[in-house]
Order: sequence, then structure tokens, then C-alpha cells
Amino acid sequence: MKNNNVKIAKYDTKENTLLVGFPSNGLVGTFSISYLIHHLKMKQAGEIEIPDLPSTLFVEGGEILSPIRSYNKNNLFVIISDVPFDQYLAKEFALAVHEFCKKNAIKKIVIVSGMETVNPKKSVPKIYGLITHSVLDNILYNNQIPKFLDGSVFGTDAAIISVFRKTSIPALVLYAECHPFFPDPEASIIAILTLAKILDVKIDTHDIQNKIDKLRIQYRNLMEETIRTLQQQQEKKTRAPQIYR
Amino acid sequence: MRNDDDFEVGITLPIISSLFDDVEHRILSPLSCLREFDNHWMLEFDLPLVSKKDIKITFDENTVNIEARLKEKYSENKLGSVTKFEYFKKSIALPGKIDNKKTTAKFQKGRLEIKIPKKVIGHPVKIT
Repeated sequence: MKNNNVKIAKYDTKENTLLVGFPSNGLVGTFSISYLIHHLKMKQAGEIEIPDLPSTLFVEGGEILSPIRSYNKNNLFVIISDVPFDQYLAKEFALAVHEFCKKNAIKKIVIVSGMETVNPKKSVPKIYGLITHSVLDNILYNNQIPKFLDGSVFGTDAAIISVFRKTSIPALVLYAECHPFFPDPEASIIAILTLAKILDVKIDTHDIQNKIDKLRIQYRNLMEETIRTLQQQQEKKTRAPQIYR
Repeated sequence: MRNDDDFEVGITLPIISSLFDDVEHRILSPLSCLREFDNHWMLEFDLPLVSKKDIKITFDENTVNIEARLKEKYSENKLGSVTKFEYFKKSIALPGKIDNKKTTAKFQKGRLEIKIPKKVIGHPVKIT
């Protein structure tokens, strides 16, 4: 039944928005954000430097690339990292993202990540949203994204949420159900389609659909490196004093 | 969290990375993950580009070996040199005794799940 008394403000797609992607469960953020950069033909705008990050550079077609880069097109900004972060670097990354937001008058950020599938027998993965400020409730409502209600968050997602919930810049984390230990480009398609609705842009996902199997092979090493980094964090976080073990 | 009959005890990845592809023999090393439940192990392999009929699973004591032929050759270009891979191959040694006669396997969406019951050894202790 339609409730005519409920008025939801139309989400302003014109205000500066930042998308953030980094290696996490299923590499959902990596696949979806890099696909968006490619599909929207966004231009690299700069690099994000984190002081304690071990010196790493990537070479692509002879071009030297920093592992953490920013991209821009009109009012849309992107920060993507090709390296996973341990708990110390995650905090530094979150602070660097906040600094970027202040410099570029960002009004809200959207982070794309993955969460382990609750029911692996389901044919289509679902996506959930976690928001730091209630002002983003309308994005969830208008795009029919169920709220992430219960569970624990750790790693880089948690570091970013912890930083932004204390600021005036609201953050939305999109969690796509995925296989946590294997690259899951299929789950990232759900994230891409959800981002397209939120940003009010048209995105054709045929390219990624055709490459699902090859991406799963190509990104094996990054997935393994990400799992090791995440497991180290969990082990450190859950280490109880000797007496309680 | 997963819907499984048993309580999950833990997750174990191979201690040493075995993602070293054998370029000479055109063999890729698949990602794998081992989860421990109270009465069985769940061993998963990510096998994209593979058909169920082309997977071979064998046991050697406590070691599970898998070999799978790719539907099409997978090409990788590194420093201008193209390598074409035709197979996935990996062996995983399980940390406990297993009952490989009751093992079952399932292949869905390019993921192989092998459920391996634990072997119960020992004798009951009487409480007085």
C-alpha cells in the first residue's frame, strides 16, 4: 500500500561525492570501483600518500602507478587502493581519506566492500548498507537497500567508519554478499548496479560479466594477500590475555 | 556466518603460500580454503573456467590432491612473455585424521567443496 504521507527528499546527485574501494572480502571493492573508473572514463587526479606504507609502485604499459590513487569526473571523486591494509595502515588510510574530503569539499562518501554470504545457496547475492549519519537514510530507502542491522565490522571498513562517524561528512558502506576468501566479481556486479542507481548513472555490466572467470584467476594473488592481512588483524584483535585462553 | 549443520571451529589457509604457478607444465595453483567443523573438514577450491567432468580428486593418507583441466587455455602476459595455462593442480595436507571413504564433493559456480569427515579415534573415559 502506498503511503502518501511519507515524503522522501530526492537525493542530490550534484553534490561532491567520494567513492572508496580497497581490497577486502571477495575483492568486491576492487572490482566494482575499478570497473566504475574504467566505465565512466574517469581521469586520474592524484595520488594518496601514506607515510608508513612500504614503498610499492605498479607499472602498467610502461606507466608508473602509485598503489593508492584518486580519480575525478565532474562532481564524482574516487579513491582506490590496490594494496590491502593492516590495522595500523587502515587508520592512516582512513585519516588520509578524511583529509582528501576536506580539501575537495566532499559532502558524502560511499565505500564498497564485501561480507560473507549468509546463505550460499541463494542464486543472487544481496547488498546491505551501513550509514554513519541518518541523513543518508534516504539513499537506502530510495534505492531499496536493506540496512546492515547486526554483525561486526573490522579492518579498513571499520577504520573509515570510526573516523567519519565523528565528523560532519556522512559515510555509507555498501556490503555485497560474497565468498570471503575467493575473488567474487559476480558479487561486485550487484555493487556496481547499486552504485549506478545511487549516482543516477547508466552502467553496462556486460564487460565484467564476460570476464568473471578470468578475473577470478587473475586476482588470486591479491586475494591471498588480502586474506592474510585481514587474518592478522583478526588474530591481533581477538587475542585474549593468557589466563582466559 | 554460514548455514551449516555443525559448529564451525576455525579456518585454516595453507601455512606457506602455494600460489606458485608451474609455468613449464602450464599448471595454475588454485586458491583454496580449509574450514574446521566439529566433526568434519570443509575444503574449498576456486576453479573458474572448469567443468565438473574435468576434475579429479584423489587422497593420499591425509593429503587431498585435485587436478582440473581448463575449458579453454588461460593466457598471462608477464614482461612481454605470454604463458598459456591448461590445468589447475594443488595438494592440501589436512591437520587431522580423516575418513576419506565418507567424503563427498560438490561443484557449483566454479567452486569445489569437499566435505571430509574426521576420523574418531580414542576410547571413552568413564566418569566416576
